[in-house]
Amino acid sequence: MKMEDMPLSGPDNTRLEALVHDIYSELVEDACLGLCFEVHRAVKQGSFFLDETDQESMKEFEIVDQPGVDIFGQVYNQWKNKECECPNCKRLIAASRFAPHLEKCLGMGRNSSRIANRRLATNNNMSKSESDQEDNDDLNDNDWSYGAEKKAKKRKSDKNQNSPRRSKSLKHKNGELGGSVSSEPYKYNYNTGISYETLGPDDVRSLLTTQCGVISEHTKKMCTRSQRCPQHTDEQRRAVRLFLLGPSAPSLPDADAVVESDSFDIPDGQTLMSRLQWEDSPDISPTDSASSKASTNHSDSRRPKKKKTTSLGLNSGGIGGIGGSLSGGSSSSQSNISLSTKKKRPKLSAPSITSIYDDLN
Amino acid sequence: MSKESRMRATVNQKLTEMGERERLKELLRAKLTECGWKDQMKAHCKEVIKDKGLEHVTVEDLVVEITPKGRALVPDSVKKELLHRIRAFLAQHAT
Repeated sequence: MKMEDMPLSGPDNTRLEALVHDIYSELVEDACLGLCFEVHRAVKQGSFFLDETDQESMKEFEIVDQPGVDIFGQVYNQWKNKECECPNCKRLIAASRFAPHLEKCLGMGRNSSRIANRRLATNNNMSKSESDQEDNDDLNDNDWSYGAEKKAKKRKSDKNQNSPRRSKSLKHKNGELGGSVSSEPYKYNYNTGISYETLGPDDVRSLLTTQCGVISEHTKKMCTRSQRCPQHTDEQRRAVRLFLLGPSAPSLPDADAVVESDSFDIPDGQTLMSRLQWEDSPDISPTDSASSKASTNHSDSRRPKKKKTTSLGLNSGGIGGIGGSLSGGSSSSQSNISLSTKKKRPKLSAPSITSIYDDLN
Repeated sequence: MSKESRMRATVNQKLTEMGERERLKELLRAKLTECGWKDQMKAHCKEVIKDKGLEHVTVEDLVVEITPKGRALVPDSVKKELLHRIRAFLAQHAT
């Protein structure tokens, strides 16, 4: 419905204002009336005076309105700068950091158990890898352990690269290496595995007598664990020895000695050979040592794959060296014999060795 | 004057029809609660009830006591805003 036009002239204006005020008054009275009904209903239902108790309690819980205090009368940051003494470790800890510290200190809470488990795991791995080589003194040095290197990389940087333990273990292994201590650590420096390419035949032989020596596929390094290391089989060890030293490579000390030996035990032969070499070194004259070494190297380098022949060839080479020192003239013949033996079958080389013995005798 | 009364009636009708009256009511109630007017009035009610006695107080008693005081205690800001809104409504819809 359309409204009449209301021009805003003077008297109309006052009438308009009056109208506005009247409308306003109506609204306010409406509000008051609403309140009265609400209160009256609450009174009659008994819910109006519920929040009132006796005068004493009213005074006690009165709202506080002072500066620096909250409405309960408590000071806000009273404990901010205080330090508490931990009952466990007796240290003074800041109040805001007290709860997390207590959690870790007492070992309760989620994070502390996780940290403890992780620490236990790394400690177990470290001690476990050390116990693997307890049967061989030479491998007690942590840096040599192949398995532990993977798990705890940090330990490597902690150890002194030129520590006396390092060179001591090398000296003990092989007397020839005594003079080359400074160069040796560099071979073992980068990783704890050993690279067979950098080692001479004597080093390889000596290593293989004491260590597993199996060459890893991806790193091309020899395993430095004991002969009974669980990671590699005897077959692998045998194959490595064949590969590195030729068919006359010394066999593994535990298994093969009984099967293949003809006249004398191979390990005895090995020790005999090594002993002879050590004893020889001051005695052998240059030509003889050259010939013996030449024969030895010769037997090392080209080989049909028979270990036995190599060992016997070496033995004969060593013995030939002795023979050379005793009687210079016969050295060449003996070296010839040693050269000839390597081409023959294993069984045929035995009589030649006995012949050499006869010569000595 | 009947013209005026007719006009008033029209305005009121319009106010109600368009829902503006309800809106203004709600606005006023909210504002009064916000500024503490309601709590003040309730405290006053308590006194009146204590005077008259809990059992026999009637709505009339309360209304008679409360309304004048209520009218007086409305803060100026609330009053001004409400007047402004009413005027705006009239200006928009009455002309």
